[in-house]
Amino acid sequence: MSGRARVRARGVARSPGAAEEGRARGPASRPSIALIDNEASSSSDRERTSSISQKYAGGVSSSDSGCTFKERGRNVRRDIMDLAVCTREKLAHVRDCKTGSSGIPVKLVTNLFNLDLPQDWQLYQYHVTYSPDIESRRLRIALLYSHRELSNKAKAFDGVILFLSQKLEEKVTELSSETRRGNSVKMTITLTRELPASSPVCIQVFNIIFKKILQKLSMYQIGRNFYKPSEPVEIPQHKLSLWPGFAISVSHFESKLLLSADVSYKILRTETVLEFMTDLCRKTSMSCFTQTCEKQLIGLIVLTRYNNKTYRIDDIDWSVKPTHTFRKRDGTETTYVDYYKQQYDITLSDLNQPVLVSLLKNKKNYNSEARMAHLIPELCFLTGMPSQATSDFQLMKAVAEETRLDPLVRQQHLARLADDFQRNRDARFELETWGLHFGCQMSLTGRVAPAEKIIMQDHICQPSSAADWSKDIRTCKVLSAQSLNKWLIICSNRAESVTENFLNCLRRVASPMGFNVDRPKIVKVQENPAAFIHAIQKHVKYEVQLVMCILPSIQTSYYDSIKKYLSSDCPVPSQCVLAQTLNKQGMMLSVTTKIAMQMICKLGGELWAVEIPLKSLMVVGINVCKDAFSQGTVVVGFVANINPRITRWFSRCILQRTTAHVADCLKVFMSGALNRWYRHNNGLPARIIVYRDGVSDGQLKTLVDYEVPQLLSSVTEASSNTSPKLSVIVVRKKGMPRFLAETGRTLQNPPLGTVVDSEATRPEWYDFYLVSQVACRGTVNPTHYNVIYDANGLKPDHMQRLTFKLCHLYYNWMGLISIPAPCQYARKLTFLVAQSLHKEPSLELANSLFYL
Amino acid sequence: VAENNMECNSVVDGNVEEVPSKKVIKFNPPLYKQRYQFVKNLVEQHQPKKVADLGCGDVCLLAILKYQKCVEELVGVDINEGKLKWNGSRLSPCVGDHLDPRELDLAITLYHGSVLEKDCRLLGFDLAACIELIEHFDSEDLGKFPEVVFGYMSPTMIVISTPNSEFNSLFPCVVFRDSDHKFEWNRMQFQTWALDVASRYNYSVEFTGVGEPPTGAEDVGYCTQIGVFRKKAEAAELAILEHHGEHVYEVVYTTSYPSLQQINYRRRVVVYLVYREVSRLRQKYQASLRQHELEPEFVACGNRTGKFTSDLPVPVLTEDDKAMEMAPQPFCIEDKFYVPLQRIIAYPRLGHLCGNVEKLREFLGDVIELNCDGSAVKVDLNDCSDF
Repeated sequence: MSGRARVRARGVARSPGAAEEGRARGPASRPSIALIDNEASSSSDRERTSSISQKYAGGVSSSDSGCTFKERGRNVRRDIMDLAVCTREKLAHVRDCKTGSSGIPVKLVTNLFNLDLPQDWQLYQYHVTYSPDIESRRLRIALLYSHRELSNKAKAFDGVILFLSQKLEEKVTELSSETRRGNSVKMTITLTRELPASSPVCIQVFNIIFKKILQKLSMYQIGRNFYKPSEPVEIPQHKLSLWPGFAISVSHFESKLLLSADVSYKILRTETVLEFMTDLCRKTSMSCFTQTCEKQLIGLIVLTRYNNKTYRIDDIDWSVKPTHTFRKRDGTETTYVDYYKQQYDITLSDLNQPVLVSLLKNKKNYNSEARMAHLIPELCFLTGMPSQATSDFQLMKAVAEETRLDPLVRQQHLARLADDFQRNRDARFELETWGLHFGCQMSLTGRVAPAEKIIMQDHICQPSSAADWSKDIRTCKVLSAQSLNKWLIICSNRAESVTENFLNCLRRVASPMGFNVDRPKIVKVQENPAAFIHAIQKHVKYEVQLVMCILPSIQTSYYDSIKKYLSSDCPVPSQCVLAQTLNKQGMMLSVTTKIAMQMICKLGGELWAVEIPLKSLMVVGINVCKDAFSQGTVVVGFVANINPRITRWFSRCILQRTTAHVADCLKVFMSGALNRWYRHNNGLPARIIVYRDGVSDGQLKTLVDYEVPQLLSSVTEASSNTSPKLSVIVVRKKGMPRFLAETGRTLQNPPLGTVVDSEATRPEWYDFYLVSQVACRGTVNPTHYNVIYDANGLKPDHMQRLTFKLCHLYYNWMGLISIPAPCQYARKLTFLVAQSLHKEPSLELANSLFYL
Repeated sequence: VAENNMECNSVVDGNVEEVPSKKVIKFNPPLYKQRYQFVKNLVEQHQPKKVADLGCGDVCLLAILKYQKCVEELVGVDINEGKLKWNGSRLSPCVGDHLDPRELDLAITLYHGSVLEKDCRLLGFDLAACIELIEHFDSEDLGKFPEVVFGYMSPTMIVISTPNSEFNSLFPCVVFRDSDHKFEWNRMQFQTWALDVASRYNYSVEFTGVGEPPTGAEDVGYCTQIGVFRKKAEAAELAILEHHGEHVYEVVYTTSYPSLQQINYRRRVVVYLVYREVSRLRQKYQASLRQHELEPEFVACGNRTGKFTSDLPVPVLTEDDKAMEMAPQPFCIEDKFYVPLQRIIAYPRLGHLCGNVEKLREFLGDVIELNCDGSAVKVDLNDCSDF
């Protein structure tokens, strides 16, 4: 939460004027609580429906036949918005066929299920008005649902728009109902549209239907997914409860309507915010308790005890106690204690706890002042992983063990879900009334690209496993390595012997690689970050090639301050290693090998290559991520090769003041990269292929409209005659589809290099899936590639093969990775900048992989 | 039968919304809420285990009663199946009910059927509520009603509410308050009927109501009149019938809540609390060690706790500390920290959940490591992941 918002939240909450307070607090502090428990269980599908028809609530008349799906605007699910961006139709060479043919076919089971509809199936959209007008959505819905005329029809209704699977006899139907007081209400139901099953509106209705069904299967919606409380996985020592569940979505794939289902786990904490606070209180000193507490809690999502709502903690109001009063919706005053006793029969045990403040998003009106909810810590559960958890190895391991499902177990979960859909009476009834038929799980055929050879300086090796070729190249010389003559090691006094051991080992490892290392100057310092920085400032002179720091602890202050200084203020390649890493007995050789390779890269060397048939190709990786500290800043990383062999890299990174994950600076970066290429090769590359990573749902259109033109203009401006041909590919790692290979009676992850470019792909895109990494445990997540611009006109086969080759070139890992190397470099670079530097690294380092 | 929904909504919107010729009478809280509150108060007062709402409509009353800790079974009956289906999910347990289960079991069932039909699943209830129900019966149905509810179901307590027609004089020109009403009684009519029914089926009855008349018109009585019927002793003869009756109603919705009566939930809560307690004691122990290092002559573990109760925004409950001091203290052998089960069971909530040490040991089972004779929980003294 930004400081300003917090001040505002506080300001309103503490506004002293009595009259003001009444208004500000009344509705704010207890936001429609009276309705929360009533609506909680069924709110989700209503909210969905409401999102479809936001605009209608404003009183738009029924003449909406011209209203397109997109105009409905902001609340449409973002991933569905992306599907409306039809990039394939502009790509002539793949308009008819986008599938490749090379490689060995492999039979794959997917997590996609067929959804069949009758040939002539249509959805009928009606607009409903009430006379006299009724404002309450609940009452509107109740009146319509209880009407006999509609009671047996499949319907979805949000208070304004009604969807039916069967047409009513008349175009305009008038129904009347009576309220308890005998007031008759006339409901006018007007047909506005008849939608074919392919309409995006239908997709939303299908998604609503399945949400309803999952609720009928006693699952709970938390966020976007549905979870089963009946079989939780408990990790009591970490106060965690993992609920298994599913992420589900219905959409049109290549040729059919399919439901994709993936297993998901919700991490809930069996700890209330009050318990968290008392624990924290015990651990920290008095003086900084409130501060620490705010720091740890603000931004977390809590779940309230008495309904299924989640809130974000935006502030903690220490001045309000449960014994204080607030104004209820009906205008009466009551204390929090009395309210919870009265409403939920809950007795608060701690009358001194503060209240949590959450700003509520006002869905109806974006302009109005944000409303607030006051929540009692004792009645709020924390959700998600604790903040310190990521560094807690034991905890992460415990969670990973439970949530990483291997292919067979995953398939069993899906089979049970499918079984529930077909067997559960309510679920079946719901599907039947809509005319939907839940079909079988889809299988398809993928193709496995052949394995690549790894080219070393004097040897070409065929790795025994493409997942890890560290053993295969142990005795081989790397392509090129600068000798390391002048360098520094900075370590604490305690780490002296560790450092000597390391240097011995490095000498043994480096020479077979073809890496000459001279003895460094060793500087011993005290164990604190300032001492390290001081030593660096004192000893790093112009001719120093590399600084190595042996850090005594994992504290980020060491790493961050060193990296910050040596990446921007005084640009020298740096290598940070934890002392304890160098202490691992038996691991020494492999640890040192890895460090040596990183050092070679940081000095601008090249490790290995793969055979690239295209002779003048530049590949670019772009990644965009949020800065960890400042909310309005995104970090854009850009990495491109500057030699045809694709072994030397040019890396740029910039911080951009905006909230959208869209890059502004691509023109500058691209021109810079082309300049470098020109200098090294006396000409421009013939082809450029850009892999764009770090894209979130709903951004595809911006990419097409905004980023591609930037890239294009810098490419065309680079040369007056023949400019390089450009292709742009969007890389996404978190897609829904999963592919499992059937081997005999069991299921396994598909082999490395498996390509899927049919059936599970989208008709409006030139896209494919590629499995280029090994998942030792769990189920592999295929990477999705969507070619949104393609002037190169490579055959799909070649595009897929090239992408696969590029996944071999990440020098920080002697094996295949899940995305093309330039993307992974860009990812690593933006991560360093977003987490540690928070400013742009120096241009002087742009020619080396200084961020590995 | 069920008109609650319409009414509750119309009242939500504009309280009693009438044509504004006479001055509009507004109740605060709204009348329908007052009726529900009345039933809720009865439940709080008499702590019934099994409660039925006959003519439950959109399940508003059940949604209020599900929070009552004493209730173990809630049943709603209505002839409007659509409403039950639409509203059923309002009664399902929420996520918090799984994370922090209630003490007693709670099962909720909605039946589609008529209150005038006998279904043996409605036998043996402690309280049956018929809120704004009888005025929807024609004279034939009204004739059957007592036999079914009083004679057959025969719950320990019955609460019946119905409009008081004397109050209607304060409303502008309405014959009945709802077009589906077959009659609206004055107090005399209702009480005569009620006393007759009560004496026939051996109940006692008290009359009251909700919706106070405005000043100056006190003589019209409450807007809603209520009769609370209580069965006079000597029951038991009906218990035999329970298993022989027919199932006439159709189950539309059913759910059961997680509770501490269910062994898996109880074990989970026990394990969680033990972890919590052990880690708290360990922290305290570590703190006292640090104290000791600093000033060896001053060792007082309890001190820290005492210090932050006074001036902290979030105080720690210390009520039971005295009892806890009596229990065996945690101890340390080398780098292991032990908390005697006797000490854990002295913690009131765990004592309540487990009863005795044997039970506690059984709950901990293979989830938490115990020392060799099984008398204490054993953990690492210095565990970096502080749970």
